[in-house]
Amino acid sequence: MHELSIASSIVESVLEFAAKNEIKKVLEVKLLIGELMAVEWEQLRFCYAAITRETAMEDSSLEIEQVEATVSCPYCSFRGRPKYWEDALSCGPIATLQCPECGKAAEPEQGKECVIKTIKYVAGP
Amino acid sequence: MIRTIEASPDEIYDIELEHSLLEANARLARENRALLDAHGITAIDVMGAIGSGKTTLIGRLISRLKDRVGVAVFNGDATTSCDTDLIAEQNVPVVQIATVNGCHLDANLIGKALRKIDLNGLKLIFIENIGNLICPAEFPLGSKARVVVVSVTEGQYMVRKHPHMFLGAHLVVINKVDLAEAMNVSVAQLAHDVHMLKPDIKVIPASCKDGIGLDEIATELVAI
Repeated sequence: MHELSIASSIVESVLEFAAKNEIKKVLEVKLLIGELMAVEWEQLRFCYAAITRETAMEDSSLEIEQVEATVSCPYCSFRGRPKYWEDALSCGPIATLQCPECGKAAEPEQGKECVIKTIKYVAGP
Repeated sequence: MIRTIEASPDEIYDIELEHSLLEANARLARENRALLDAHGITAIDVMGAIGSGKTTLIGRLISRLKDRVGVAVFNGDATTSCDTDLIAEQNVPVVQIATVNGCHLDANLIGKALRKIDLNGLKLIFIENIGNLICPAEFPLGSKARVVVVSVTEGQYMVRKHPHMFLGAHLVVINKVDLAEAMNVSVAQLAHDVHMLKPDIKVIPASCKDGIGLDEIATELVAI
């Protein structure tokens, strides 16, 4: 349940921002979460709803946008979407760090994000 | 990066924050790393499921290494001190990190642990993470390498069930290979699965009971 740690970090950051600015109520928080991050969105939403109660963030919506993974290969200079292990599990393909071109070890370039992109709020004391 | 704006009452604002949620931990991890580097210490984050054999493996490695290099251990455990007690028998510095209900260690806890022991003379610190194959992946601690321990008793599909943990690993130990036949688990298939995810990673089959692979792991870790 590291989703609770992440939800706590969201609430802490936004409330800190709210305390420094004139914010009456937070309406929406938009996150960017990378495809390579092991974050379960439903659990994150559940934790978020639970810990924003009785704060300026109560009932605000949590929008999550996924950042697609990209890799770069130091061997063949490939840059782009990773190779997916299609038949690993029935629930969906797994992104790997195998270069789609040459099969050697690629480096993750994008997809490890976990960022508050924007917040929408009502100004006022 | 926070842009501040003048607020008029009841007006709705939509502003960009670009605030990284894992940055606080990442910053502390960098501080830990700088402290370790300044003392010439390599920290190894040992990760794996409950019962994969992390503590036993660390114990066996310490027996092999402690006469050659200064070794210490940080034991992350949700509730008990039994792992710490086991390591303490070897007369090396050991810090118990009780996370109570926490599912992973974080850089803040490691920072505190680093202040509990005398770092002078140490070369290697084993950090035994909480037995969990998902949560610790996103929380760097300041270690130089991550070792993932997976044992044959966890079944044939352990690697593909937890890809994130292996994508961030530097060394994978397939433990308890003496039980592979009894468990009807293929060690070669487990190694193949790891290489599907990360082709260049070193995979070492091991058995703490029979001593298989332990010298090779010790050599790898000292070379990091």
